[in-house]
Amino acid sequence: MTVVVSTPPTPGAEPDDYQRYRPKSKTDQWICWWSILIFYNLFGLIFVVLTRVMPPPSPHLSTGQIVHFFQVHSLTIKIGFGLLMVVIGFSSWANGLVVFHMKRMSVGSVWAYSYIAALAVGALPGCLFAALCFLTAVFRPDRNPHIMALLYDMGLLMFVGSLGCFATMYLVFALAILLDKNKIFPKWLAYVTIWQIVTEVMAAPVFIFKRGPFSWNGSISFWQGTVIFVIWEVCVVFVLYKAIREQPPRETDAGLLMRSASRIRARRGHEVTADS
Amino acid sequence: MTATERTMSPPHDRDTMSPTDEEANSGIRLPGEGSMWVFVLGDMIIFGAYFVIFMIERTSESAVFLQSQQHLNQTIGLINTLVMLTSSWFVARAVRACRAGDYQGATRLTVCGFLCGVVFILIKIYEWSVEIGHGYTLASNDFFMFYFMLTGVHLLHVVLGLIILGIVFRELRRPTLRRASMVESGATYWHMVDMLWIVIFALVYLLR
Repeated sequence: MTVVVSTPPTPGAEPDDYQRYRPKSKTDQWICWWSILIFYNLFGLIFVVLTRVMPPPSPHLSTGQIVHFFQVHSLTIKIGFGLLMVVIGFSSWANGLVVFHMKRMSVGSVWAYSYIAALAVGALPGCLFAALCFLTAVFRPDRNPHIMALLYDMGLLMFVGSLGCFATMYLVFALAILLDKNKIFPKWLAYVTIWQIVTEVMAAPVFIFKRGPFSWNGSISFWQGTVIFVIWEVCVVFVLYKAIREQPPRETDAGLLMRSASRIRARRGHEVTADS
Repeated sequence: MTATERTMSPPHDRDTMSPTDEEANSGIRLPGEGSMWVFVLGDMIIFGAYFVIFMIERTSESAVFLQSQQHLNQTIGLINTLVMLTSSWFVARAVRACRAGDYQGATRLTVCGFLCGVVFILIKIYEWSVEIGHGYTLASNDFFMFYFMLTGVHLLHVVLGLIILGIVFRELRRPTLRRASMVESGATYWHMVDMLWIVIFALVYLLR
């Protein structure tokens, strides 16, 4: 659906319909919005408390220490990542809301589609891959310790070092906000998003370094990137709240449906009177 | 919306920008757009953190850092600093020209600033290729790790700055698009890029 915001409201038989449907018209969006809060709290619980992926364990453990890590955290990894497999879909609910509002922008829908596609591709290396590797390791504890070490490295390298898809996603998001003339999201959010691109790029060297600020648990690659990510996420939640509040009721899906229904009714009525 | 923008806009726009009127009248005015200042100040905090981390790592391995620093070409670094400062000077003059209504002059000065930015990138690529040719790469030691990462992330900002200056140029050329706030925002960003380079030059190339 392409929404033309500048269209002036059509007077006529419609206000009754609006009045009737208006209170309900944004419930769908509020459900999505609350799902973001629920999802990111679960996300924190899973990644920080249960599976110990954030903050990541050390990149220079010996093979024996890695096997020990999986033994000690076996139960919480199973619970945490098992839970993630169930709730990962919530993130698409949340991102769907962002895309819905991106499609209200004056830029073409292609920006919204690029955003969602980049996220969809990024979800595997950036979120699920660590879960798949860690789950394999804890469910097959009798495997060769070197394979355990490989799973550990693969999971965490992907988790912190996956940047291409997300950097593209942030770029698309920032440019869409800057080019948008409908002012759906404030401009400062575009700039906050550009910080995200910078911190993603600074996380790239995790593949090279096992110690220091650019390793996968380093002050720059992990900590700074995570702090900026949390700030960005809080900003997005806040801005989405405002965008939903400020969206004119006529422009919501329910409002559009009512409008087209009223138009069809009006046209039919017109045809009936013309025939008679 | 800013006061300068108001003076440049057609009269019918005036009623849309009341909230900042009091500030403007009391003589306090933020050059450029507020959102750009959010970006610039936040970016400076992010870079500030990089510099603090650099200094912490440097104290723990000062011998390696001092010895590796000898392999950098300070002359090239200095030339790049001068190029960057000249570029900033052009952009600052472009803002003044724009405020004075000399849009052609502002356009020319913005182009000069832009070209200096391109020269900066070319010199930086040459400098990197020389270092890599001597066998110093990202993985050589902690000093070169910081050297390539800090100058690299700064170069990313220069590229972004060139895009912003390109937008300023485009808007200056079309009378309907001209906004002093955009020229000021571009200059604000470009001065930040300049300032960050001076700190990087001092910390990475000069600090003994």
